[in-house]
Amino acid sequence: MNSTAQKLETSTPIDTSCYADVTDAIRKEAARILADGTVTAVVGYKAGRRAGTTMPAIVTDPAEAGGLIFSPACVNNLALYLTKAKKDVVKKGRIAIVAKGCDMRALAGLMGESQIKREEIFIIGVVCAGVKGSGAVNSEPLTTGNLARKCRECTVRTPEGADLVAGTMPSLPELTPVEALEMARLEAMTPAERWAFWKEQFSRCVRCMACRQVCPFCYCEQCLCDKNRPQAVESTPRPAGNMAWHIVRAMHLAGRCAGCAECERVCPMEIPLNLLNRKMALEMKELYGFEAGLAPQEKGPLSSYKEDDDQSFIK
Amino acid sequence: MSKMITEQNLRLLIDTLVKEGARVVGPRQAGAMTLYEPLTKGDDLVLDQLPRRSAKEAFFPVCETILSFERKEGKTTVQDVDVCTVPETVLIGARPCDAAAPGILDAVFSWDYKDEFFLERRRRTTIIGLACTKADDACFCTAVGLSPAEMKGADLFLTPLEGGGYACEAPTEKGERLMARHPQLFDDAGNAKPLPLAEPAVEKLDLQKIKAWLDGNFESPLWYGIADRCAGCGACAFLCPACHCFDINDEGTADKGERRKHWDACGFGKFTNHASGHNPRDIQNKRYRNRIMHKFKYYDDKFGQTLCTGCGRCIRHCPVGIDIYAVIEEINKMGARDQGPGTGKD
Repeated sequence: MNSTAQKLETSTPIDTSCYADVTDAIRKEAARILADGTVTAVVGYKAGRRAGTTMPAIVTDPAEAGGLIFSPACVNNLALYLTKAKKDVVKKGRIAIVAKGCDMRALAGLMGESQIKREEIFIIGVVCAGVKGSGAVNSEPLTTGNLARKCRECTVRTPEGADLVAGTMPSLPELTPVEALEMARLEAMTPAERWAFWKEQFSRCVRCMACRQVCPFCYCEQCLCDKNRPQAVESTPRPAGNMAWHIVRAMHLAGRCAGCAECERVCPMEIPLNLLNRKMALEMKELYGFEAGLAPQEKGPLSSYKEDDDQSFIK
Repeated sequence: MSKMITEQNLRLLIDTLVKEGARVVGPRQAGAMTLYEPLTKGDDLVLDQLPRRSAKEAFFPVCETILSFERKEGKTTVQDVDVCTVPETVLIGARPCDAAAPGILDAVFSWDYKDEFFLERRRRTTIIGLACTKADDACFCTAVGLSPAEMKGADLFLTPLEGGGYACEAPTEKGERLMARHPQLFDDAGNAKPLPLAEPAVEKLDLQKIKAWLDGNFESPLWYGIADRCAGCGACAFLCPACHCFDINDEGTADKGERRKHWDACGFGKFTNHASGHNPRDIQNKRYRNRIMHKFKYYDDKFGQTLCTGCGRCIRHCPVGIDIYAVIEEINKMGARDQGPGTGKD
């Protein structure tokens, strides 16, 4: 469980009947498009050894399509596997990808950045009643108590722009935001308090780089933060370098981050990284009226120039 | 006469050791998780969960300065770190999977080069181990030859008793000395039975068979399926009690700075990147293969031990669900089928 607020709330079960239908539809479609040569590979999910767990799977044989599943444990944003950071995974041909609504935004962003072409991918969109949050017990069913924070404020449960959408959305119990409250709490702090908050959070960082490695937008072949001649950001897990790394990460993703919150999910030290992403997204919306990942767009506000751009920050 | 210590006296032992000036490291609450951190009082100790990071950092910190340098008026001075300043330490509450690891690492840290930073901390640390009463679906210590009751690596070993308190055994002199110094905190053991210990839901694996398969299968299609999805982060290595790779970086300015030793991970793309630009482990599958080979073959070849204690941290926290137990279980099966080395591809 990733917040006290969630712990205190009484848990209501979430109707997860749609996952079985979605699983069925994924299997049928994957088998069909692999068999008829529409795609060479399907990036989806399969069950893990431990009951209630899943993992990303790359299926190339139609006979293996029956192993694909969709469940509340399908937390990964598979868009990662379409980036050049993972170019070894599927070497050639059109690729199909199973995408939740939140993952679709990353796909749109990657198309906008010319990293993938729409015609080179086949999107199996899936309706999603939510996935489990950090700390949820594998064997437990999905409830309002163990739901991922991002799912509590989801606006894209039925994806748009996919080649097909599998499943029908059930009605969901009312969900109260947790992350938005945490955002408000941070916003209400003085800069000194906020600095202290993040300093404490980043002090735990061990620089495992999981946040970077799972991010669909961290596809740079040479990350600035890996450079040591000259060294731009200290690579050792110490306060200065940790702070610098997380600020660089947030800034580089501003206007690009599609809000999948994978960075926060995978952080073994439970640093609430999505709060930084959300803050950046908020700034982008306020300053430029821009939201990342809504539509493939050639250039985001931070990589284009307009005469009427706000320049009030130049003093 | 066997001894026991009450829960209250265990906390008092920490208070006493802290007062005596020792560094006491044990599981302590850090947000929703626990971490092995210096304790300032007995009540800081939280024993109900496996700490998120392993206990290796009591000997091998995430990052440490190994020398500092300064240039003044064209003259450079280098200052070594005096390892004699390492404080006397008691590591308390280490589960068998954590307590066993430092002893396994002694071999590599005292091999061709004596790593005084690690070894001095080892010399000055007493480990109080704790039998494990709770396993989850990622635990697999029993598969790799340990168990929830394993005392390996512990100087003093605690077994939780029904009705509270812990039975105490001192497998080493260090542990005996610790008990002898604080006799008032230890009572004679009564008739209390130990609490039922954890039972990880896994098969015991044949580590020799696994090694034999690895001996003959550096090139196997297995590697090309397993790690396609590996994201290339260091979460597994950094949480692991036995992973011990480190990098050394000079940081600061040209005039003043430090040389720092910090954790590294073979999953990182640049781990084996040569200055020439050539990278012998150029794809993730080769990096993951190294992880398995190092744990279950190379370390055994060199030091006769397995570099995995089955704590399950890498399974619990892998961002993409890679499950090392599933991998070695598969290899164990293939090893059984092959009836020995050299029958795989290549």
